[in-house]
Amino acid sequence: MSERQLTGKPKEQGAALRDGTLSTKNSNENKKIPINLILGGIIVLLLILLPFYAGQYTITTFKRIIYFGFLALSLRFLIGEGGMVSLTQTAFFGVTGYVVGLLGAERGMPFPWAQLIAIGAVLFLALIFGMVAVRTYKIVFLMITLAFGQICWAFARQNTSLLHGWSGIHNIEPFSILGIDFTVPANYYWICLALFLIGIYVMWRLVKSPFGLALNGVRESPRRMAALGYPVYWIRLVAFLIAAIYAGIGGILMTYANTMIAPDIIQMSITIWILLTVILGGVNYFWGPIVGVTVVVWLDVFISSMTDRYNSVIGIIFLLIVLFSPNGILGFFDLVRRGERFGFLKKILKQVG
Amino acid sequence: MDVKTITFILNGVTQAALLFVLGSGLTLAFGLMRVINLSHGAFYLLGGYIGYAVWTASGNWYFAVIAAALSIGIFGLIFERFMLSRVRGGDLPETLLTVALSMIIADVCLSIWGGHSKSLTAPPEINPSVSIFGVTYGGFRIILMGVAVLIAVALWLILYKTKLGSAVRAGVDDRETVSALGVNIDITYMLVFVLSAVLVGIAGVLGGTYLQLSPGSDTTILTYSLVVIILGGMGSLKGAVVSSLLLGQLLSFGSAYASQYLMFLLFIPMAIILAIRPQGLFGRES
Repeated sequence: MSERQLTGKPKEQGAALRDGTLSTKNSNENKKIPINLILGGIIVLLLILLPFYAGQYTITTFKRIIYFGFLALSLRFLIGEGGMVSLTQTAFFGVTGYVVGLLGAERGMPFPWAQLIAIGAVLFLALIFGMVAVRTYKIVFLMITLAFGQICWAFARQNTSLLHGWSGIHNIEPFSILGIDFTVPANYYWICLALFLIGIYVMWRLVKSPFGLALNGVRESPRRMAALGYPVYWIRLVAFLIAAIYAGIGGILMTYANTMIAPDIIQMSITIWILLTVILGGVNYFWGPIVGVTVVVWLDVFISSMTDRYNSVIGIIFLLIVLFSPNGILGFFDLVRRGERFGFLKKILKQVG
Repeated sequence: MDVKTITFILNGVTQAALLFVLGSGLTLAFGLMRVINLSHGAFYLLGGYIGYAVWTASGNWYFAVIAAALSIGIFGLIFERFMLSRVRGGDLPETLLTVALSMIIADVCLSIWGGHSKSLTAPPEINPSVSIFGVTYGGFRIILMGVAVLIAVALWLILYKTKLGSAVRAGVDDRETVSALGVNIDITYMLVFVLSAVLVGIAGVLGGTYLQLSPGSDTTILTYSLVVIILGGMGSLKGAVVSSLLLGQLLSFGSAYASQYLMFLLFIPMAIILAIRPQGLFGRES
């Protein structure tokens, strides 16, 4: 279980894995891809229609999945594509929340401006942090970003004159745009979902773009990429900024969904929680963070209803995942599909399929 | 200098003493094993609480220190043997394990000791009122400085005068070669990790006496320790001494004059040092 399995893609294994799936896809291309598309379409349709058949609580939970989903996408992009384990993402998540709260709710700045300034603020902060952090690699990068994240948290907690310390900013209500009232939960859910789908699509294009491939190259071997003439520092910095924007958008959605922002949401336990959530889903898979967040948020609901010791239970689950399945849930499914674990399951799958 | 400034400086040195005890173990473990123990803060909290429990039960402060050091040491040993060694070789899985562990420890501490802050009281014989430069100062704080100096000297002796120390120093530079030379690197790892756990256990009781223990202290302490070792250079004892002295003063004056921006002040020296010397003040380039 080397580190490559977690950060960098296990190149040989990963390539073989993708080749493996590709070859099966190639053999029955006409049958398989439509099935994936149809399944995806059904899931999206079910999500769009959610407010018509699900209760208030389910909708709230899905909003949670979406705003933490943005954060998870952001983190997975950095870890899986860029090999940078950043623990500052939650701070970026909070920065937009605070700016929207300060300018939008407290000073009454109208719709697009407070939000745009929030994204601008997150870019600015990410630029400052990034210029220092992307000079370092691996575990040092992790430590520095952790320290940055903690500094933001402590600043938000200690500053009472502007950010109101512990209690944070309250009454950050959603508003109407073009006559659509987003204080209605279903409307707000739909706008979140729409943004999330767009976010996923953009991320997909980004990962497959030349920039995404260059970033993969930097993850594998910064020196070789530098020798080939790629501006390694700038590639990593831009990736850091893109990830910060994703975290920032998630932060805006979270702030309006909760109608408040407080230092609690950017504290270290949330940072750890989201990191482990991404690992749980599968950091080397595009859909890993989304699977991870969906599973963990629902686990959160079920475990919290049974015990107060939520953090202990989830901590033990994470401990087991890191020890026994470092490629997460999706990695585990891949192992099963290739028959490396639980050979009997593969036989069953064959008989069913 | 007026009384106020002297008090601030003394406070800073006291803070530095605690920071050094926290950072020294972490930096040694990191330098050798390339594992950043992110449950360092949780170990501190657990050590402090165990010390508090022993202190309330027995009324003896010294027992509390011994109990915390021993129990956190044993706890570290178990964790290292049964979990960390399973994923050895990859620094990220190792770090994630420590992260998951810190989550569990913090939650268990919360369930046992609750949300109110706890603190120990030092026995009177080590807490006399001392007058320095005309400033009356709590004796325990002076003792704390003494303890830090003692630990620094002991660590220096271990590192530079024992076989284990030479294995550790060589391991910081080149792990593979050291193990090829016949040093049992596995046992060395274990000893260093346990040493770091013992130190943080002691720091827990010292911190619980000088400051307070409450949920959340674990992450604050972890941040302080991280800044100490990033600034000083990872794996460097000298770096830990210098950076904790620096940060101690910064924290002391910062909390007096700019308490709202205290943590932001921590960021500034770190950013400057990292921009000029990414490996830290006394770190070696890898």
